[in-house]
Amino acid sequence: MSLISKLLRKNTSPARIAGFVVSNFIGLAIIVGGLQFYEDAGSLWTSDDSFIKTDYLVVNKKVTSSNTWGDSDSEFSQEEIADLRKQPWVRDVGEFSSTDYRVWASVDQGGRGMSTMMFFESIPDKFVDGAGSDWGFAEGDKVVPVIISKDYLALYNFGFAGSAGLPQMSEGVMGGIPLRLSLTSFDGTRSIEMQGRVAGFSNRLNTILVPGSFMDWSNKCLGSGKDGNAPSRLIIDVSSPGDVAIKDYLAAHSLEVAGDKTGSSASYLLKIVVGIVLSVGMVITLLSFFILLLSMSLLMEKNRDKLHSLLMLGYPLRKVAAPYMGIVVCASVAAWLFAVVCCVILRSSYLHSLEELGAAAGSLWMVPGVGLVLALLLMTFNIIAVWRKVKASWR
Amino acid sequence: MLPRVFASEGIPRSDVWQSSLCFLRGRRYLVEAASGAGKSSMCAYIYGSRSDYEGSLTFDDADVSKFSIDEWQSLRRRHIAYLPQELSLFPELTAMQNIELKNVLTGHVEPGRIEEWLHLLGIDSRKDYPVGKMSVGQQQRVGIIRALCQPFDFILLDEPVSHLDSRNNLIAARIIAEEADRQGAGIISTSVGNPLLLEDALTLKL
Repeated sequence: MSLISKLLRKNTSPARIAGFVVSNFIGLAIIVGGLQFYEDAGSLWTSDDSFIKTDYLVVNKKVTSSNTWGDSDSEFSQEEIADLRKQPWVRDVGEFSSTDYRVWASVDQGGRGMSTMMFFESIPDKFVDGAGSDWGFAEGDKVVPVIISKDYLALYNFGFAGSAGLPQMSEGVMGGIPLRLSLTSFDGTRSIEMQGRVAGFSNRLNTILVPGSFMDWSNKCLGSGKDGNAPSRLIIDVSSPGDVAIKDYLAAHSLEVAGDKTGSSASYLLKIVVGIVLSVGMVITLLSFFILLLSMSLLMEKNRDKLHSLLMLGYPLRKVAAPYMGIVVCASVAAWLFAVVCCVILRSSYLHSLEELGAAAGSLWMVPGVGLVLALLLMTFNIIAVWRKVKASWR
Repeated sequence: MLPRVFASEGIPRSDVWQSSLCFLRGRRYLVEAASGAGKSSMCAYIYGSRSDYEGSLTFDDADVSKFSIDEWQSLRRRHIAYLPQELSLFPELTAMQNIELKNVLTGHVEPGRIEEWLHLLGIDSRKDYPVGKMSVGQQQRVGIIRALCQPFDFILLDEPVSHLDSRNNLIAARIIAEEADRQGAGIISTSVGNPLLLEDALTLKL
């Protein structure tokens, strides 16, 4: 240690510095641990669908006996859509459009054919996420990608395949099987042969989805020409899926959310709990900041004469401040490192059980980064305080 | 120039206060005064550690009130050497460490020369003693050596030999004069009756 550090660090109280390191560590560990848990556990409610973000809700009207035969009550009028758009939690609304022609789909499977009548729906492409670059359709393409509800696969595998003596199929196998699609207009005069390819399965879309561009093109070729029906389902981009206002609005208008696995209220609860934990961590971190601020201030006050004498000798301010800044930096970095190590240990203890629940572990780097930014911020404030104190000792 | 505390009191005739005075490089000045006449104030004003005066102070026409902290610190390393009356030594450090604290900063004096000064002033056997355990006279000699460990245009000595016998006073005066002459620097030394024994010095009454 240089002579000047030896001089200026005299009277340093290891207990006070340790007090800061421990309390800063606890505060940061709570913040970093809480955020990391949120990052890891959040996927329990959010990652169940790679095509549709959690911020998107698919809503339809409840089907009651009164609208079973009438065709208008389950559809959304333009006024209803406009009203929905006006809600503060709505960022965007997309309409489902459906085919205006018949669809036959058939599969050749080891010589045994199978065919069924089908339908398609589409939503604006901007709502379809993560299906990759091959999601889309241009006129002239022979293959059209489709996204199928996971429920249909389950129905086939566990309901139909067993009883009909057909093999069960995984998502991967299903994706590799070409679908032969035969599209015919209602009057039977026009038809198109296409190939379908299963691009993925969705938990939250109870439909068979094709790209919007394909829907527009095929309806133009085969449709009856009349204006499209009003949509019976809407996809809504909401600002906060857990918002109670959304629930209230949907209940008041007798709307149902497709694929609602009550995840939204659980994730809302998770947010609140993490919020409380984070505030506790913030308070402790803030208190630890003041511990360091006061102990540095006390230390420099005790060494004020020496500070002054060194400055009288012509030592530059930064050289005189350096030993104190060194303490601040070392203590802050130590507290942050302890917090990150603690967070990693904590994480390894819960990650296994979380993964058993089906959560996909979040990234490990973002959260310690947040902790680092916080630690650096507090460190900067303390360094500024040290600097001002040195400056004040000059005269 | 006048210290503010004197503004209301009115002071007896002085060569420094309420007059215009110019210190020149290469010259030697002895400032004599009774206790409380403002010797230490004058030194502190020139060294920039106090500014509670009326009037103005300039270095080569540059007004010191405009100087930044960095400029003052650089002046203190390269242009003005100062031995304050209270010495400002670090009692827990040895004599040698106290001297090196300054010499490390400026890199001005070779170690052999420091040893020589310690020997001439008769404290070479005490160089590894904590300064706090030395007599005031010994401390003054350590302070004088430390003040010499930098380049300077002026060396400012506030009662540097008040606790020295005349023999050590003479030796100190010789070393200081030698160093100042080598650099073409001026010497300003104050006293309350036991002045530094400089030859050819201009005496000013405060």
